[in-house]
Formats: sequence, structure tokens, C-alpha cells
Amino acid sequence: MTAPKDKSTSLRKMKVRVAGGRTATHYKRKAPKAAKCGNCGAVLHGIPRARPYKMRTMAKSRKTVERPFGGNLCSRCMRAAIVEKARQ
Amino acid sequence: MIDVGRLCVKTAGRDAGLKCVVVDIADSKLVLIDGETRRRKCNIAHLEPLNQVLDIKKGASHDDVRKELEKLGLKARDTKPKEKKERPVSQKRAKAAEVKGKAQAEKSAGEKAKAAPVKKEAKKESKAKKA
Repeated sequence: MTAPKDKSTSLRKMKVRVAGGRTATHYKRKAPKAAKCGNCGAVLHGIPRARPYKMRTMAKSRKTVERPFGGNLCSRCMRAAIVEKARQ
Repeated sequence: MIDVGRLCVKTAGRDAGLKCVVVDIADSKLVLIDGETRRRKCNIAHLEPLNQVLDIKKGASHDDVRKELEKLGLKARDTKPKEKKERPVSQKRAKAAEVKGKAQAEKSAGEKAKAAPVKKEAKKESKAKKA
């Protein structure tokens, strides 16, 4: 029977074929939503969707993009911001 | 707008937002840039030209570019490779190596001690045979 703590809909249910040949349901935490551009809301490339405890173990270079505003703005918005500043 | 000596801002990549000078023009798209950025080829679509033109020759060296940029108060990026430093050996590894070295030394010393008397005996035997 499902344990009361596993009845939560905030958990992801995974059907897993276990070693004995039976199919069991495993309960896992859902992945967070993808990182989005702070300006236009586009999904950012190169930013992993991982829970904070996993993000903590990753290297900095695996979590961001090597660019000014990398990980905060998409490349288009970053470029627009830089061009605007240069033309002032 | 893009000509040799033109001051630009790089708008793409990890050098984005940094100022650079056009040093050489390869073709209608590619130029060689130098300055706060790395000295490298660059697509002109990734450059935003500014209204200043520096007094440098086509294909000017990094030092020439640095001197001209210093007049504007800008600092050129130096891409000299870092000097190699000695890596600190971890204490655990150093200890393990020491123990291993000692064990080997003892082993080789023991073998020599064993081997030496055998040789002497063999010599004695050969002398006795000759006599």
C-alpha cells in the first residue's frame, strides 16, 4: 500500500522494473522549472534543471553560461542591452 | 563603418561588453580584433562600432594596440600563459609514497644480504675444485 507520505501530488511517480521481475512504483521529487530569461521569459540554454542539493555539487561552469548576464538573460536580450549601452 | 583602428564593443560571447580595436580585415565578414578582448578573428555582426578611430597600422602588434588604448584609459588584455607552479602534494599521498619507498629499500637490502653469501660460497667451491 502507498505510504501516506508518498500520496502527495508533488511527487513524480516512476514505474520501475525491479530485480525480482515485478514492476514497482518509485516516488521521486519533481524537477524544478527551466530557468528563464529575466527580460523576455525565453527558456535559457545551458542551465540544468536540478534540485538545489544537486546544483550545489555541480561546478560553476556547469550551471551558467560563460558570458555577461549568462544564466540571467538570453543571448538576444544581452546583446540588445550591450548595443543600447554602446550607442548612448 | 568597420575599418582598421575602429574602436568597437564586442556584443557576443564571453568577451561581450568589452572594447576592442579592429587590427586587420580578412574579408567582407571577418576582422582581426585586439584590446580588452582576446586577440582573435571576429565576425563583424558581433561588433558594435563606436565613433572613435585609433591611430594604428594594419596588422599592428599587441603592444602597439596597448599603447593606443592606454591613451584612452583602457587596459589591453594580456594573454600570456601562466607560469607553472609546483603542485602541493597531498599529505596522504606523500605519506603513502614514503612508506612504499621504505618497504622497497628494505626489500632490496634483504635481497642483497641474501645474495652476497651465496656468491662467496660459490667462489670458495670453484677455488676448491681448481685446487
